[in-house]
Amino acid sequence: MNTTAHLTDTHADRLARRVAAQLDQGLTELPHDISERLRAARTRAVAARRQPVMVQATGVQVQKGALVLQGGPDKMPFWGWMGSVLPLVALVLGLFVIHTLQNDWRADELASVDTALLTDELPPTAYTDPGFLRFIRAGAPDSTSSGASPD
Amino acid sequence: MATESELTQFLKSVEKRAFKRSLYHVRDEDAALDIVQDSMMKLAEHYGDKPANELPMLFQRILSNTTLDWFRRQKTKNALFSNFSQFDGDDNTEEFDLLEIHGVAEGNEQIESAQRTVERYQSLREIESEIQKLPARQREAFLLRYWEELDVAETAAVMGCSEGSVKTHCSRAVQALDKALKAKGLTP
Repeated sequence: MNTTAHLTDTHADRLARRVAAQLDQGLTELPHDISERLRAARTRAVAARRQPVMVQATGVQVQKGALVLQGGPDKMPFWGWMGSVLPLVALVLGLFVIHTLQNDWRADELASVDTALLTDELPPTAYTDPGFLRFIRAGAPDSTSSGASPD
Repeated sequence: MATESELTQFLKSVEKRAFKRSLYHVRDEDAALDIVQDSMMKLAEHYGDKPANELPMLFQRILSNTTLDWFRRQKTKNALFSNFSQFDGDDNTEEFDLLEIHGVAEGNEQIESAQRTVERYQSLREIESEIQKLPARQREAFLLRYWEELDVAETAAVMGCSEGSVKTHCSRAVQALDKALKAKGLTP
């Protein structure tokens, strides 16, 4: 390198620092309107500042004697999703089973009544017979006397 | 995470320098203000939740990119030659663009003629003028390295080039400034 043609690093650095210092002095001479417009721009920028995302903890865990908040706005994991849906599915299934069992019980009761009627000695058509109804209202005759009458 | 107060203080500390740096590049006060405002908004909107110590580097990078975007838009809009085209060019082919030098000289003549009326600040104006005359990459490297006081690695990161390129740009910029200021009888 030709030392007469090129600045040494130290001299170049010194010159650069002096120039930078002069430029710094120039900053104080900015017109008022420019300073005001810069201030307004700064205010707008700060107002538009990105706000931090609030993280809601979904659990607390104790690790090495310290409480650690768990959870956050991340995507719900599969088992978390399942944990929410499964109870709902179980509830619907339970209601369906209860409804089915109640229907069966009611059908069984009706069937037992029907069976009792059909297996009784008195035929079912007797209940619709007007004479039989009259017989019931007048009171049944003594079975011994009726059975002993000599017809 | 930077608090609102820290962000405000940071922007307050860099806004004037950012404006002047943009002004040296674009030579238009309104455009420079727009660039600084856009950069502030981008920093606040996208990086407002970053730690305070990361803000300087982020802001310098955003400012450089926003300035570059402005030149790209201008280039497309006006279909004219822009001296800032070196930002897109290869590092080795950037400093001797005749059209670029011609454009710089024309722009600075107007600025200087307006600034000659202010005798008190003549020295500063001359320095600013010479800085504006520097090729874009050299000017960017010089301002980031010595005015923003970034180290070589940080400057390289902001400019998106190698550390060797930064050193070369800075060295050439300082030599050019030294030569120009001596020719004008100025010693900063």
